[in-house]
Amino acid sequence: MSTATDTMLYLDGVSVAFDGFKAINNLSIIVKPAEMLAIIGPNGAGKTTMMDIITGKTSPDAGQVLFDGRTDLTRLDEAAIANLGIGRKFQKPTVFESHTVWDNLEMALKKPRGIFATLFYTASDADIARISEILETVRLIARKDELAANLSHGQKQWLEIGMLLAQDPKLLLVDEPVAGMTDSETEETAKLLREIATTRSVVVVEHDMSFVRDLGSRVVCLAEGSVLAEGTLDQVSANPVVIERYLGR
Amino acid sequence: MLTQALFRALDKKAVWVIGIFLAVAVLVPMANLLIPAGQFGHVPTYMVSLMGKYLSYAILALALDLVWGYCGILSLGHGAFFALGGYAMGMYLMRQIGTRGVYGHPVLPDFMVFLNWKELPWYWFGFDNFWFAMAMVVSVPGLLAFVFGFFAFRSRVTGVYLSIITQAMTFALLLAFFRNDMGFGGNNGLTDFKDILGSPVQAQSTRAALFAATAIALALSVLICSLIVNSKLGKVMVAVRDAESRTRFLGYPVEYVKLFAFTVSAVMAGIAGALYVPQVGIINPSEFEPGNSIEVVIWAAVGGRGTLIGPIIGAIVVNLGKSWFTTTLPDFWLFALGTLFIFTTLFLPRGIVGLWSQVVGSRRTRRVSDAAPPAAPTPVQSADIERGEDPASFGNGTQAKPAE
Amino acid sequence: MLTHFLRLALLTLSLLLPMQTVHSQDTVDIPAGIAAMGEASLRELGDIVTSLAGTGDPAVVPVLTALGDGNLYVDETSGTVVIQRGSTHLDPLTGEEITLGADADLSRIRVNNGLRRDIDAALAGMTLMSDNPGTRLTAANGFLANPDPANIPLLDEAIAVETDANVLKAMQAARAVTVLGDAEQSLEDRQAAVPVVASGAGRNAITILNAARADAPEELAASIAAAISGLEQERAVWGALQNVWFGVSLGSVLLLAAIGLAITFGVMGVINMAHGEMVMLGAYTTFIVQLVIRQNFPGLLDYSLLIALPCAFLVTGAIGVGIERGIIRWLYGRPLETLLATWGLSLILQQTVRSIFGPTNQMVIAPTWMSGSTEFLGLSITYNRFWIVIFALVVFALLLLILNRTPLGLQMRAVTQNRRMASAMGIRTPFVDAMTFGLGSGIAGLAGVALTQIDNISPNLGQNYIIDSFMVVVFGGVGNLWGTLVGALSLGIANKFLEPYAGAVLGKILILVLIILFIQRRPRGLFALKGRAVEQ
Repeated sequence: MSTATDTMLYLDGVSVAFDGFKAINNLSIIVKPAEMLAIIGPNGAGKTTMMDIITGKTSPDAGQVLFDGRTDLTRLDEAAIANLGIGRKFQKPTVFESHTVWDNLEMALKKPRGIFATLFYTASDADIARISEILETVRLIARKDELAANLSHGQKQWLEIGMLLAQDPKLLLVDEPVAGMTDSETEETAKLLREIATTRSVVVVEHDMSFVRDLGSRVVCLAEGSVLAEGTLDQVSANPVVIERYLGR
Repeated sequence: MLTQALFRALDKKAVWVIGIFLAVAVLVPMANLLIPAGQFGHVPTYMVSLMGKYLSYAILALALDLVWGYCGILSLGHGAFFALGGYAMGMYLMRQIGTRGVYGHPVLPDFMVFLNWKELPWYWFGFDNFWFAMAMVVSVPGLLAFVFGFFAFRSRVTGVYLSIITQAMTFALLLAFFRNDMGFGGNNGLTDFKDILGSPVQAQSTRAALFAATAIALALSVLICSLIVNSKLGKVMVAVRDAESRTRFLGYPVEYVKLFAFTVSAVMAGIAGALYVPQVGIINPSEFEPGNSIEVVIWAAVGGRGTLIGPIIGAIVVNLGKSWFTTTLPDFWLFALGTLFIFTTLFLPRGIVGLWSQVVGSRRTRRVSDAAPPAAPTPVQSADIERGEDPASFGNGTQAKPAE
Repeated sequence: MLTHFLRLALLTLSLLLPMQTVHSQDTVDIPAGIAAMGEASLRELGDIVTSLAGTGDPAVVPVLTALGDGNLYVDETSGTVVIQRGSTHLDPLTGEEITLGADADLSRIRVNNGLRRDIDAALAGMTLMSDNPGTRLTAANGFLANPDPANIPLLDEAIAVETDANVLKAMQAARAVTVLGDAEQSLEDRQAAVPVVASGAGRNAITILNAARADAPEELAASIAAAISGLEQERAVWGALQNVWFGVSLGSVLLLAAIGLAITFGVMGVINMAHGEMVMLGAYTTFIVQLVIRQNFPGLLDYSLLIALPCAFLVTGAIGVGIERGIIRWLYGRPLETLLATWGLSLILQQTVRSIFGPTNQMVIAPTWMSGSTEFLGLSITYNRFWIVIFALVVFALLLLILNRTPLGLQMRAVTQNRRMASAMGIRTPFVDAMTFGLGSGIAGLAGVALTQIDNISPNLGQNYIIDSFMVVVFGGVGNLWGTLVGALSLGIANKFLEPYAGAVLGKILILVLIILFIQRRPRGLFALKGRAVEQ
């Protein structure tokens, strides 16, 4: 247990199988507080399943998943895990399309999630200021009253990042945040994530190598459900096994 | 806190609806009692009761809309909550008959004397008291919905599975209430009521008062629903409807959001049933028929689900149609109802209200966003439902899907 | 079926046998013996009876019976011996009616008690000794029903020479019953008789034993009581087996009704509330087919069900394709709305049928091979139920074959698993959708044909099955045909086992409640698919 202290996320020997197929095989990963970790790997490497395990959507067959060095995540459901301070951005942008941009953020804002607290909630001035601030950050202030359904793909990605910010999590899990973004948007996203990572832990799953390079973080390469290589991007991409199994020659 | 919530609830539309029904609650009884028969403006008593029946149906439809239109839970068992409320009221009315029954027994209702029962079953105790009965009207459907929903939602029974088990629930209750030894009058149900709160049920003034009570109850229901759907909780309910698992990842207790909506809705349905029974004069097990519950769904769909006024309009319009058909062309009513089901789902997914806002909206600003026509289903969606995961479908075809 | 044939064969044999014996045993002239009876003295009569009985020929049985009963007369004028029955007179050997002359002077051939006893013994011995096992069995069962200690030696004699196992068992049982009821027999013998009675006396064993216990000495009563409780246990086991059979029978009906739904709901994810109406239309198709056949080809009436099968499949299948193309395909991805639209459709179909055929029940006559019942290992099995079980299993097997072994099945599974990919690979997904839905509906039609044999054909027929069918599919696990099979059979059996304790209605309520609880524990049913794909 001593190794688990001072970590934000601690995965040890995690395995999960679907009908005999081992999606995650003895996976161990550590993320420290205020650290960014980029995860790369071929399709089917278990990246999304790993996210599912951390957020409580899938429960592992074996292994330990600890948050903040002490909380066992395998015993909690999605909502409880989210309330601990783990935010997740999905591969495909998922925002509430029949709500306005503002309402999306208001719902995400870190506030008591109980039924009656929610029923009688009225936005305080501080809340309004915070939402406006996030809208500025994700550049959606002009469209705050529009339905989320009317946003472009990239804008939805940004809105979802904004929702993550509003949740004020300690750990962000970000799945392919720049898919469908233009180059300049990609750069902006990298900048934003680097900024977030100064105060919180961030795990980014991404295929875009130049984006990963922009992040400038520690990199883990997954394959077939376990860690293939770990280190800086240069170290990992120089690893012959990684070249063979993932990057190609 | 509450005042702010109330203020939010009373937005322009809701104020109008509430105002109209409060006015109706006053005007219709006046037109019945004060204007002499035969004179212009007189509303005959049978008409008052008929309209009262429609309004209690409207409460039921509104209750269903709260769970279906806003929270995406298609309950096919709301008729059961309605009927349970009705039975609670019916039991009170039976106890009020006293010695005026056919057998003249001071305590036992006629059917129990007929079945040679010697004493009142324990669950009939207290129903001679009006307020106890009213407490049961609220708590029996509410408790059933709470227990049922607690297990169902916690086990994440969603979509069509939930619809099917709610249908099984009302079917089981139907079979149970048909049994004579349940002590609820079996096949014949409860009828031959005499008094309510000391006034004869059949009297003109009682009927007018019952109508007024129903209209006020409807106005209150609209207020409560408006309070809920205009709150942040209402937005979370819609979020659950559109993307259940995403809402969960935001940290909302989706199970309890649903449970709240389901229970509130069941209580409303129970109250509707309690208002319905004295106005039609009978409650029997056929109210539990699964077909009845599905009919409620079509009222909400025709009017426009996901709106507060839609289900009310739907309930009134469809039942007016039913009354017309069953007197004029009785053989064609089921054809008409069946066609209505198909037509509404295929061509009018947002109901009359949706159609209205589409017409008005396109005339005013030509904004396509609000009234997007239903798109053809995409293969993605079809793939989703095959996994049985579609939490709920809602009018427009461009809705968000849960993660990945 | 088998017993029927057997009985027929025996009958034929018994008709042939007397002729042979008459010719082979010419040592005793039966007609002469009978003729001699008219003038014989009591002692001579005794000899004649013995010699006639000694022939072992069943043909003498009527004469001897009539003699014992005092119905044998002689016409003093002509010397003819006749049997008098009411006002008619029969030939003692052939049994044909004889018209006596106008001057006939009938007098009864008299017998005394001693002779009568001889006759009874001779008769019983004769039938016990008969060449015909059927006759021997009847005789033994006769002794079983009317035990008389006087018959014990006779039974012993017969048992000694008996070769047929069944008849032997019956004789032993008859002897045991007699011994048991005879207070003069030794206690050991009576004790020994108890298990023989218990095993051999069939359904009446408990009654016989109970009767014997009433006036048996204490020791004997105890062993009788033990035998009774053993029998009752055995009977409970058989009762349970019978319940299993009833359950299987109900389960097969559920399977038939639900299996089409397993296709449309399980494979396509379409909630078809009009599924019950497809069953109902299948039943009405059967009705029409039978009507047409009765009017035009009455000779084929026995095969009308077989002819109705393809008709019902095609009719309901075509309607199913029509529904899919006309309504359902516009609603893919919106299962709740599909549910509503198909519910509306079911109302229309019901009302249509009601307008055409009227609200009253229609009848479909069962073919001869489906009526009646048989006993199998002590279970009573009606043929219609039996054939429905077989039919349900055949339909199930065929469906498995279609899904797993045919190109259409392959395409169906492909479309189910990944619609976009299947479409990209050139599978015409709309065609596959229509065919799948048609198949599901067609099978509902087949179920309708079978249901004509056990249920009323009315416009509401389908409504009675739709909720049960959904329960079966959901209980068994969506998308899994084996789950549907197990679900249907276990629900059927559970229902039949709950019925005796809770009554039919309460049993059904209990089942519904149990399923609701079960779904909440396992929301994806008994045989749920696992994996990331479904967890999404």
